[in-house]
Amino acid sequence: MERITIDPITRLEGHGKIEIFLDKKGNVENAYLQIPELRGFEQFSIGRPAEEMPRITNRICGVCPEAHHMAATKALDALFDVEPSSVVKKLRELFYSSFYVTDHTVHFYALGGPDFVLGPDSDPAERNILGVIHKVGVDIGKQVIECRKRNHEVIKILGGRGIHPVAGLPGGWSKAMTKEEQKTILGWAKENVDFALFSLKLFDDVVLANQAYVDLIVGGIFSHETYYMGTVDDNNHVNFYDGLIRVTGPDGKELVKYPAKDYAKHIAERVEPWSYLKFPYLKDVGWNGFVDGKDSGVYCCTPLSRLNASDGMATPKAQEHYEKFFETLGSKKEGKRYTPVHHRLATHWARLVELLYAAERMLELTEDPEITDPNVRQVVTNTPTEGVGSVEAPRGTLTHHYKTDENGILTDVNLIVGTTNNNAPIAMSIKKAAENLIKDGKVTEGLLNTVEMAFRNYDPCMSCATHSLPGQMPLEIQIKDADGNLVDTRSQYVD
Amino acid sequence: MKTLIIGLGNPILTDDGVGVKVALKLEETIDLTAHPEITITEASAGGLRLMETMLGYDLVVLIDAYYLKPDQTKPGKIHKLSLDDLRSVTPTQHSTSAHDTSLVTALDAAEELGYRVPSDFMIYAVEVENILDFSETPTPAVSAAIPVVTEMIIADLQLKTL
Repeated sequence: MERITIDPITRLEGHGKIEIFLDKKGNVENAYLQIPELRGFEQFSIGRPAEEMPRITNRICGVCPEAHHMAATKALDALFDVEPSSVVKKLRELFYSSFYVTDHTVHFYALGGPDFVLGPDSDPAERNILGVIHKVGVDIGKQVIECRKRNHEVIKILGGRGIHPVAGLPGGWSKAMTKEEQKTILGWAKENVDFALFSLKLFDDVVLANQAYVDLIVGGIFSHETYYMGTVDDNNHVNFYDGLIRVTGPDGKELVKYPAKDYAKHIAERVEPWSYLKFPYLKDVGWNGFVDGKDSGVYCCTPLSRLNASDGMATPKAQEHYEKFFETLGSKKEGKRYTPVHHRLATHWARLVELLYAAERMLELTEDPEITDPNVRQVVTNTPTEGVGSVEAPRGTLTHHYKTDENGILTDVNLIVGTTNNNAPIAMSIKKAAENLIKDGKVTEGLLNTVEMAFRNYDPCMSCATHSLPGQMPLEIQIKDADGNLVDTRSQYVD
Repeated sequence: MKTLIIGLGNPILTDDGVGVKVALKLEETIDLTAHPEITITEASAGGLRLMETMLGYDLVVLIDAYYLKPDQTKPGKIHKLSLDDLRSVTPTQHSTSAHDTSLVTALDAAEELGYRVPSDFMIYAVEVENILDFSETPTPAVSAAIPVVTEMIIADLQLKTL
């Protein structure tokens, strides 16, 4: 069997690569993304007081510390069996919405956007945020930086620290919001709504107005019919902070809706002999391989998935764009819901709809008179045993599960991080992209870029170790023959 | 000269946090009342977020882990690098991770947008061995490099100590 390896992440040899296995005829048999796996977190945590977890887990990753902080804090609520007050829930959700605004902004303007704004065939050296600035203008670039700046300030004000927040407590939040802070954040929240609307307009002008891009989005290369997962509120609207986990099928019908604490009843992890990655799948359907369809337990958990798994958005402007999204992409309304959109490249658009929702939700919460209620802490008296907390990280449902002794010292820790949910669908997307460009052993130019586009829309988080120097993202393909001999290498960004 | 010293890395990932540990050591050692121009901080961020922390400073001192191929790495070996060195290892100025741009691209973007980016950079990179296992303790060779880098920075910047 021939074997092709693409190294997409860093210069960490042996870690983080894409492997494409060919059959004897030289056609793609399978493809997998290997993400560097950090080791020993469970052992690192055991023996520590559980209440340290919001501050420890936010160190796991430099990309979404806020998501870990929040999932850990919610796991502590469950562990100590304590219900946060109404203002605490609102402060947490406000903090979390602000994080979403920054995270989705980076992805669109620095990563996903360049493929469209500059075009998928543009020079890779220009296909970055600098290229976007050249194309759309300095003013827009400034807006991106200003948007990040004000939201980082919100995270700092509410979370107590800039990059690694510290405010989460079991059943509480360490800091109330002052009226002064409310006034400041209110102004920023309004700016966020304008910025999100502007970004959607940009998507309209640059992507939707260009038939070639629309064809690329709805074309078959980047489509998969899988199950979709997302957290929903009581009205089945998308929620990032809290709710029930809802899974809907490739046909749009609800498969199951469950509280986070029941995750182990519904999700199992498939282990394959050729990878140290785990592939979560739906127990209610069963594992049937890396295939599409309603008999395959593969599910996806991204902005696109959250839109597909919901009945709508909880804020008015985001709802308008939600409807436009489904109607433009050819969905039909069946009862209360649209049939799902399976085009993975539409995830970039879905991300912007979520950006608008996060901005609008932030504004609603800041305007709420209760938000400055000072009652943000409570004394915890129950003996801890076990707790599960989950949130929607931008890149998938994030679940923290802790068990402790009666003194609250950790005895067991299990985390299912956002990207892990998508391990199987990412593999399938890479395979499909590669199938189109590798025929009978011949590799067509454009493989690297197409494969990169295929996995990038999932916004996988692989940053755990990438801040070590030299910190670049080369792509390397190694083509190996049936005996494992290297017969060809294709690469970009590699010295 | 308004100076920002940033220890980079993840302090619970064995050697990855070497920069953070040097920053803490500097904080204990430098007489900060004699040097009001200096700010010391830690960050486990790259690209845009790292660039944003630097805006408004004249000089940035970065301390980070340097991971080479396993057969080339000499744990504890210290390199002094310039921003141009970083540029040369990121020739295409592409992403560092799937979720960010490289630092040089972020700085170039900031400059183009009219922000005041630092004029000088001093980068201290320590070759590391293990950045995949969770631990608060670096490997012995990297631990031994921490006081050496600390002294080097104090000497290079001619700083008063406590």
